[in-house]
This record gives sequence, structure tokens and C-alpha cells, in this order.
Amino acid sequence: MDAGLNLVLWGIRLAFLGLLWLALGLMARALLRDVRTAARAPAAALGRLIVVASGGQPAPGTVYALDAITTLGRDLGSSVVLDDPYASQHHAVLTFRGRAWYVEDLESTNGTWVNGARVAAVAALGFGDEVQIGEVRLRLERGRP
Amino acid sequence: MSGSLAGAAVPSPAAGTPALPGFPRPRARRRELGLLLAVAAAIAVGSLSLGLQRTGRPEPADPAALALFVGGLLVVHLALVASGRRVDEVLLPAVALLAGIGLLLMERLPQDLVVQRIGPWTLGLGELQLLWLGLAAVVATTTAVLLRSDRWLRLYKYTWAAAGLGLLALTFVFGSDVNGSRLTLQLGPIAGQPSELLKVILVVFFAAYLAENRVLLADARVRVLGPISVPPLPYLAPIGAMLAIALGIVVVQRDLGAALLFYAVFLGLLYLATGRRTDVVLGLLLFVAGFALLAALFPHVQQRIATWLDPWNDPLGDGYQLVQALHAFARGGLLGTGLGAGLPEIAGRPPVPAVHTDFPLAAIGEELGMTGVVAVLAAYLLVVGRGLRIAASSRDDFRALLAAGLALVVGVQAAVIAGGTLELIPLTGITLPFVSYGGSSLLANALVVGILLALSDAGPEPPPPPRPHRASIPRPGRRPETVP
Repeated sequence: MDAGLNLVLWGIRLAFLGLLWLALGLMARALLRDVRTAARAPAAALGRLIVVASGGQPAPGTVYALDAITTLGRDLGSSVVLDDPYASQHHAVLTFRGRAWYVEDLESTNGTWVNGARVAAVAALGFGDEVQIGEVRLRLERGRP
Repeated sequence: MSGSLAGAAVPSPAAGTPALPGFPRPRARRRELGLLLAVAAAIAVGSLSLGLQRTGRPEPADPAALALFVGGLLVVHLALVASGRRVDEVLLPAVALLAGIGLLLMERLPQDLVVQRIGPWTLGLGELQLLWLGLAAVVATTTAVLLRSDRWLRLYKYTWAAAGLGLLALTFVFGSDVNGSRLTLQLGPIAGQPSELLKVILVVFFAAYLAENRVLLADARVRVLGPISVPPLPYLAPIGAMLAIALGIVVVQRDLGAALLFYAVFLGLLYLATGRRTDVVLGLLLFVAGFALLAALFPHVQQRIATWLDPWNDPLGDGYQLVQALHAFARGGLLGTGLGAGLPEIAGRPPVPAVHTDFPLAAIGEELGMTGVVAVLAAYLLVVGRGLRIAASSRDDFRALLAAGLALVVGVQAAVIAGGTLELIPLTGITLPFVSYGGSSLLANALVVGILLALSDAGPEPPPPPRPHRASIPRPGRRPETVP
């Protein structure tokens, strides 16, 4: 094998190793960025839902970390499953829009109540407000404990 | 493509309830695309290096295989884009890098190491690996796109455990012996290694069991001796059963690698779930004691340990593979000899017989050098790190433990075989995930990646902020007059 070809061969080999490490470096940078973003995020969750009182399940004292969209109801696919005879399958949904939480009643049979008042369709929620569905009372709190 | 299908199934929002699940709108994944392109470029240059070494002409070693590999990556990427799920974007490129290196290696090794006839075609090692990689991509993508609920994984945990034990029993009864280990199960025309699937099943069981009993295992303790306390007996039983299974695999299947893998992953998950170091120390001591007992009783365990302590004692017999592997690392040095330029085969065979399944790291060490070996190990580190990150941001204990367990399975398996090849720990026959040749291994690890991707789904995107307030929505703080 002549010297010129050998040189090219070595160049390509080193380029292969270099590109391998470049790809790994890019991935590592992506991971680092994610870690930094997570560290900079103000709170772990947008909010927490605390069970104040209930007829059984979920037990009082249970804490749910909330996603931007949290569904409540008896349906097992709900984010917060309410095992309460007065709750509908798809009872209500909590959404975080911009800066505030809103609770939306999904035309449930027995209604959703915020601080003792029945929700017509949508109601804004502040941290510390109580939502009642059937016998379950839930308090909305800030994400950070 | 899935957008229109699912869109038709969603009831129209006019019914009154807002359609929450919504349309799976395609979602761009720029970061993943960029990383995949970097990986594809690296593999293409590697293929070029192999082709130039072989023929002296600047062309890829196998242009069709290279095109299929890169095309497959793009198809998986596009499928994930079309699914619209917000799943992890770094995991796939890291796995693709490992798979690409594995594919290059299989193209480089003598093609007649494994030959299979499928219909009119006769496929060699590289082509078969490409075929399995394609199937693995299908498995991973399908799992990542379609696995939405974890309930069926979590609810039937004892069914899963029973299925795993059944697989183990089947292998014991109907399995065939290869190299003194009973690992392969033949079902009609399909042969497979059930322990690869078993590792996924067992992680699901561990995660479900530990998530359910986490508090009990961590807090209800019975003092035995001074500072040593253990969970109450009923909760200890499954842990003891696990130890028995691990040691049973060693006795029945003569498979040290799988036993080590299962037990290490189990201890890791136990620590993650309870946060008690004493449990891990206790588990390790039990394992060492059990292992010592086995070594005293069974000659094949003794032989493995003797080979590990001194492979040069019998360099042409028991220590042959290990000695050849160590020589391969030594020949490779820092930068390696280059793809395809390693030691020629001895009488048509590579010097390490199981180089495509158990010793791919030795071939990488020879032809890509330490730089290549460390790159491969770094890629595993990225996969594990990503998996633990997915676990840390999971929404509940089961998902967290499942993600961590799956990541640990990949990491521990890579560590066990890499350590064995480099003579850090006794050598155990187990595959290097994503790199080794082998359908069972690739498909099981693809399933792991698919589940990890599905678990990393960040859920629907937060809705945009509302328009400036509307009069119809009561504001917080202003209470209605009527009280029921």
C-alpha cells in the first residue's frame, strides 16, 4: 500500500473517531442543557392538590402534583381518580393557563363547587381555594412545598 | 399518518365537553434530528474507512446497508414526529450510535460466522444484523408511540412474574445447551434466548412490587441485631425469592451473567425505592455468601473464577478467549488499527470465536483503540443518564422505578460484559446491548428503549395563556353572593 493512500486512510480513521466523539459531545451538551433548565425551573410542579376530606379514597392528606392539564373523575384514566359515589366519570378538569389555575366542570351530574359555590362552567382558582366534588374536598396549593 | 386516524376517533368538541386528548399533531423534534444526523455522519465515515481499507477505493463498505441504516433512523424519527408525543430526544441518537458501531463491526467480521437461509436468500452476519436492527427499530417505535397507559404493566405484576418464571422453566425443560449454558429455547423455526426478555419482565415486576410496598419496606422495620434491621418477614419473602431465582439461574442454566445482571438491578432498585444503604450491603453480603457456596459446589463456577484470576494458566484451553481478547486490546492501543485492519483471521476464523456476541468490545478495542472503547462506554453512560433523568421527572413511583430499572438493565449488562472482557470481573457470557449480534438481545433492548421513550412522554403541552380576562369568568377573591 503506498504512502499516500495510507495517509488518507489514517485521516479517515481519525475523522471517524473524531465524529464519534463529536456526536457524543453534542448529546452530552443536550443532557447538560436539560439539567440546567430543570435546575432553573422555579418550581417542580405548577401546583399541588391536597385532599382535605373525603369519604374514603383518595385518603385525606394525599398530595397530587399537578400537570398543566389535570383531569378529575371516577374514570380510572383520570389524573386524579375520585372514588366517590357523587363524582361523575369525567367530572372536572383543572388547567393552568398563563399564570392562573382554572377549574372547568365537564357537565357533571352533581356539580363542582369552589369555596362553597357551584361552578357554572369555568371558574378561576387561586392558591388555597377549595374545590369540592361529591364528598371529596381538595385544596389547591403552590407547587413548591 | 396517525394524525388523521386518531382525529376521526375523537368526538367533535361541539358535544359540549372539550376534547381533551386532542389531535396527535406532528411535533418537530429538531434536537433529535440534529443528533441523528451527527450519528449518521460518523457511521458513514466509519463505513468509508472500512471500504477504503478493504478495496483501496474511496467508497463505503456496503452502500446499501449504510443507506438502509440511515434511512431507518430517519423513518423512526419521522414516526416519532408524526405521533406528536413529547418524548425524549437524546435517547434514540445515543442508541443509534451504538447500533451503528455494531453494524459496522458485523460488516467487518467474516460474514460466514452466522449464515441463515430465509426463503431464496442466504444472509450473512452483516445482513442479518441489519435485518434484526430493522425489526428492533419497529419494536422500539411501536412501543414508544402506542404505549400510553402503564396500568396493564402495573396491575398484573404477579402475572408478569409468573410468566417470567414460566419462561425460565420452559428454557430449563426444552432448552438446548450452547457452550455449557442452557440459554436457547427453540420454538418451531424460531430460536431465542428467553433470559433477554426475562430481564424486561422482571424489571416490570420489581418496579410494581417496590412501588406498592415502598413505604412498608422503608419504614416498618424489625430490629435483628444492633443497628441491623430488616423489613417484616412477609415483605422480605419476595426479596429472598429473587435471590433464590438468581442463584437458581446459575445452577440450572449455568448462566452467571444473567444472574449477576438480575441481582444487581434488583439491589439498585431496592436502594432507589427505600434509600437504605444497609439493605444493599446486606444483599451484597448474601450474594457473596451464596456465590461462595455455589463455587464450592459447582465446578463450572470454580473454573470461571480460576480463569479470571489467571487466564495464562491455560492459554489454549479455558483461558483462550480471554487471552485473545486481551491481546486484541493491546494491539489496538490508543487509536486502534483502523476498521478492517485488525489481525487477520487464523485459518479463516477470527482469533476470538464469540467475537460477534460476547466479545465485540475486544474487536472495537483492536480496531478503534481505547478512544473507540471509551466512546462506546460513554454512549452507555449517556443512555443510563438519560434513563435516570426520565425516572427523576416521572410522575409517580412506579414509572420512576420502571424507568430507572430499565436504564440500569442496559448499564449493568454493558458493565458486566465490558468488565468481563477487560478481565475486571469473572467473564460471563452475556451480550453487549445494541452492539452484539443476536435477535433476542436486539429485540429485548429495543423494547427497553421503546418503554423508556413512552415513559418520558411529557404529556400535552401547556395551553397558551388566555386572552385578557373575560367578564364571564369570575376572578379569584370575588365570591358569589349565594351560598348553597
